[in-house]
Amino acid sequence: MAETAIALPPQLIPPPLIEGRQDDGTLNKSLNAYVWQPPQRGWLALFLIGLAGTGVLFSAIAITVARGIGMWGNNIPVGWAFGIINFVWWIGIGHAGTLISAILLLFQQKWRTSINRFAEAMTLFAVMQAGLFPILHTGRPWFAIYWLFPYPSTNSIWPQFKSPLMWDVFAVSTYFITSLLFWYLGLIPDLASLRDSSSSKRARIAYGIFALGWRGSARHWHHYKIAYLLLAGLATPLVLSVHTIVSWDFALSILPGWHTTIFPPYFVAGAVFSGFAMVMTLMIPARRYMKLKHVITARHLESMAKVMLLTGLIVFYGYLMEHFAAWYSGNVYEEHVFFSTRPRGPYAWAYFTQMFCNVVVPQMFWTRWARRNVWTLWIGSVLVNVGMWFERFNIVVTSLHQDFIPSNWAMYYPTWVDFSLLFGTICFFGTLFLVFLKFIPAVATSEVKELNHELHQGGGLSEVEGAHR
Amino acid sequence: MRRFVLGQFTEAAACVEAVRKLREQGVPGLDAHSPRPMHGIDDALALPRSKVPIVALTGGVLGALGGYSLQWYLNSKAYPINVGSRPPHGFWTNIPITFESGVLIAVLSIFFGSIFVFFGLPRTYHPLFESERFRTACLDAYWISAETGDENAVPELEKKFREAGAHKVHTVVERI
Repeated sequence: MAETAIALPPQLIPPPLIEGRQDDGTLNKSLNAYVWQPPQRGWLALFLIGLAGTGVLFSAIAITVARGIGMWGNNIPVGWAFGIINFVWWIGIGHAGTLISAILLLFQQKWRTSINRFAEAMTLFAVMQAGLFPILHTGRPWFAIYWLFPYPSTNSIWPQFKSPLMWDVFAVSTYFITSLLFWYLGLIPDLASLRDSSSSKRARIAYGIFALGWRGSARHWHHYKIAYLLLAGLATPLVLSVHTIVSWDFALSILPGWHTTIFPPYFVAGAVFSGFAMVMTLMIPARRYMKLKHVITARHLESMAKVMLLTGLIVFYGYLMEHFAAWYSGNVYEEHVFFSTRPRGPYAWAYFTQMFCNVVVPQMFWTRWARRNVWTLWIGSVLVNVGMWFERFNIVVTSLHQDFIPSNWAMYYPTWVDFSLLFGTICFFGTLFLVFLKFIPAVATSEVKELNHELHQGGGLSEVEGAHR
Repeated sequence: MRRFVLGQFTEAAACVEAVRKLREQGVPGLDAHSPRPMHGIDDALALPRSKVPIVALTGGVLGALGGYSLQWYLNSKAYPINVGSRPPHGFWTNIPITFESGVLIAVLSIFFGSIFVFFGLPRTYHPLFESERFRTACLDAYWISAETGDENAVPELEKKFREAGAHKVHTVVERI
């Protein structure tokens, strides 16, 4: 049977993954240009703001450690509040990085190549912020090692491994180490390219140390490709396990609003949803100021908007199922949380903020116009971040503040230390990110070179796809 | 003192072909250097299957076993904690940490195994870096190299490299 070529209408042809005619040399120059140019005024201004905010963070940490967590607003019955909300929010943001770098690699989604480095860095820095909160929440972090890690102390007291909180410790620390090593392995060839394109001796030595003496040997690439792929293969179930375990912190208790089986998939989807929103929030300004529009094109933004729409719908389904299960259970406490406390209680404003940001806002991404307009994308992604923070607020605070016995009910009010920690981690995250953008190529140079080669060789349909396959 | 004969190509495909030809001619110590993995180079150099997956599997299995035994020993032998009369050794509650430790040790073995054993890195010195022109190997050019300990073999190798189509053929000598 003869094949007939179907001419696509122009609006169905996706924008290119790499704009313009590029080769290894031009890519090398344009992707590393930001590292070699002196810092711009905008970068310096943001960096100073970030440093100031980091100062606020460390002051808040000092106060928390010196005076105890009584400085926070949480108390019985709301024993978990900002500490856990922020932990889950940050770790969820981190998950998009792993999804982009690992899962999309396994699914051979070529559009991941220009954004994976960026997203992985975001993962690392977000997990760092996340880790702060449970450590501080232990009250006396210097003792925490005894009950968090199997540390052979003379007391011969060992952790209780049947607790989901212990699983969390192992999951998050494994996740951080895996993300760091995966990121660094991907970075080695790019550090070598920086070493070799450097013009000053200082830069050459500095990047030379971190490049570990990489010389692009075919014998090394041979192992490198497999190692990279295996790390991606391991990171994929790992990222699913991490947020599943985070959701078990809640779901394994009997508190109405927490005790549901929908939690693991709904948490994972929520994590990816918020993570993509954060990638988008950071990437839209960065690609403009760093002149990366030729490798992070409208196609990338559009694909990310589609993932946001999809995961947003999964999250919406999670909300529906939570309410359905509460109604169907016939349990008065469950019904109270889902049909009285959340929509009509004192925190109803938080509930409706969550619903508006997470359910209504992403629906605009059904239209191509909203997926291709940087303003709708950026504002949408910021709102999703806000909505996902309020989702965790509702899960943690609203469920706890009215549980079984009305005499036990109480309101929760965060203190200035709580707000400083949240604000401070955002600034610390931003500072780390700015340092990353300045000193490391924000786009995986060697992978983009490979993708560029494939696109030109196979007309975009080569059988070997994706980076480092 | 080791010597490395170097030759440059501007196209990856030509580089792979040259490597194949030189290997078939029996040139020892061949290697290629490129800013990105080249398609077909593993075959041209006749590299054996990578052992990274075996290392990963071993690490993963040992990690998972270690993680499980740790929980079993600590919670049921060393320091049993009675929570509502549940058995001290809980198989199901041990699964998450067993999985995480398996992944952790597999990842550590892949990463450090690759760096230390398979790449032989980190190294502060390699004779190839004596050549300033070789710096393009991590940027935008494709290089082939052949290692030899014999000074007299160098002219012959350089000739073979030129015949295979390489430009900028030159030789570096190990200094240390």
